[in-house]
Amino acid sequence: MIDLSPLYDLLYHFLPFDCLRARFMQQAMIGLLLIAPMTAAMGVQVINFKMAFFADAISHSAFAGVAMGLIFAVSPNWTMPLFGLVVGLAIMAMKRHSSLSSDTVIGVIFAAVMAFGLAIVSRNRSVARDLQRFLYGDILTIADAEVVSLAVLFIVIMAFQFLSYNRLLYISLNTVVAKAHRVRVAFYQYMFAGLLALVVMLSVWAVGVLLVTALLIVPAAAARNFARSIGAMFWWAMLVSVTSAVAGLLISAQDWARTATGPTVVLCGFLWFIVSYVFVMARRRLAQ
Amino acid sequence: MPRSEPNNSVQTPMTSMAVTFKHVTVKLGGVLILDNVSASVPRGGCAAIVGPNGAGKTTMLMALLGQVPYWGNIMISDTPGDRSPYIGYVPQRLQFDRGLPMTVMDFLVMGTQRIPLWMGVRALPRDWARALLSDVRADALERRLIGALSGGELQRVLLALALQQEPELLVLDEPAAGVDVQGEYLLCELLERLRRERGFTQLMVSHDLATVTHHATYVILLNRRVVAEGPPREVLTPENMSAVFGLHMGLADAHAMPGKKTACSASCCKEGGHD
Repeated sequence: MIDLSPLYDLLYHFLPFDCLRARFMQQAMIGLLLIAPMTAAMGVQVINFKMAFFADAISHSAFAGVAMGLIFAVSPNWTMPLFGLVVGLAIMAMKRHSSLSSDTVIGVIFAAVMAFGLAIVSRNRSVARDLQRFLYGDILTIADAEVVSLAVLFIVIMAFQFLSYNRLLYISLNTVVAKAHRVRVAFYQYMFAGLLALVVMLSVWAVGVLLVTALLIVPAAAARNFARSIGAMFWWAMLVSVTSAVAGLLISAQDWARTATGPTVVLCGFLWFIVSYVFVMARRRLAQ
Repeated sequence: MPRSEPNNSVQTPMTSMAVTFKHVTVKLGGVLILDNVSASVPRGGCAAIVGPNGAGKTTMLMALLGQVPYWGNIMISDTPGDRSPYIGYVPQRLQFDRGLPMTVMDFLVMGTQRIPLWMGVRALPRDWARALLSDVRADALERRLIGALSGGELQRVLLALALQQEPELLVLDEPAAGVDVQGEYLLCELLERLRRERGFTQLMVSHDLATVTHHATYVILLNRRVVAEGPPREVLTPENMSAVFGLHMGLADAHAMPGKKTACSASCCKEGGHD
């Protein structure tokens, strides 16, 4: 295993907060600093593709992923992302080849994976505690192995964003035009669905099943209000997401707050959204 | 099931036809949309697919673009070498989030710039986009958000995006929809000029018979099957029109020109056999 302690020391050097003295807090901060940019970048396209419900369904398949781990006696750390990946690609395939509307397709799969996960988990009392962890997330228990897997995914996602941002935009505006204009629509759609599924599954550690969609949607929604070009939207989403993650973790560790980290991060993001909304209203009034 | 792999089924014969539909049949959900359609689009002209609602006009375009499965054969010519033909497509409308912070410049660079737009717009793609905007007479729109454009403005920008493909075939779905008569007339003149300059073949779906009679050089009259095809004068006869539209629709109204002009200045009209 790679020794990550120099990284943690470096973090403490730049953010010398009292609450960041503990190793588990340093791990949590690094974890969040890896997750926040990924969800921000992917969130921009989730909004453009109107795929919030898709992300929701993936996150809820976390239960079934854990259940698969129980059945095959494999660590849920492996089965959960893999199962999410399969569900994501399956939804995309059904969406592309079925005449059903995409929210119907997602709704059906959503129900199936959720029921499957709960059915298996309900047979096994000992995972009930785990279940709660997946519902609410617990970034404070993140281990080095998970930090490393997040770092690997981080590199993949950023490379994907660098190479595909413009093409994804093209596809999100109109798939027929994109395809006629020789953009490889199917390739990018499957790549995006698969990578989004992985991001969602690994983010479940941080904020839990219930709030993972918020990490994708809230920064991008605020960014949509602030930005005046599609390039700026990306950077605004980054700013909102990363600052919310840092502020959320620091606030949650304060004695006066002592809140769970995931929800605190999401609330910080929501504050940003309110500011962006006021900003848009003010701009609209000025324009009149 | 029929397959629609445009790269496999679209062949490239050496004829003077740009597009040839051969026995194309489309069934969607058990409903027959196109019934054994055979038609051809002459190279370099402006062809229009005309017909009543539900005639399968847009479906014919979608089959051409490989968006719906079909039986039969669609061939596109005019492609040197083995590559598939370059097609520019202008949709009837673009359904998108009107609040999306995307400028016209962003829109016209996303297809040509490989580096992500969050790294800024590079000089070369920007100059290309500006040239296209001036080609479609939309120079002033560069900094506007696409959500804030009027129907006519958005259509010009979509046309610029299609021209960016340097198409051999330009496909338009209802270019007259959402544009007033004057705007439609200007658009047709613009298309006419671009076609002369760039030498592409134009294929459009239109319900607007005035546009068709004045600007099309070739008409395919469709009502799930091809009723007639040929030059507008020969196809849009009162007999054909009442057979397809079920009304007494002659050509009388179609001669009315916007701005009380007596003749269309576009050269296609003269070619099309008008006096």
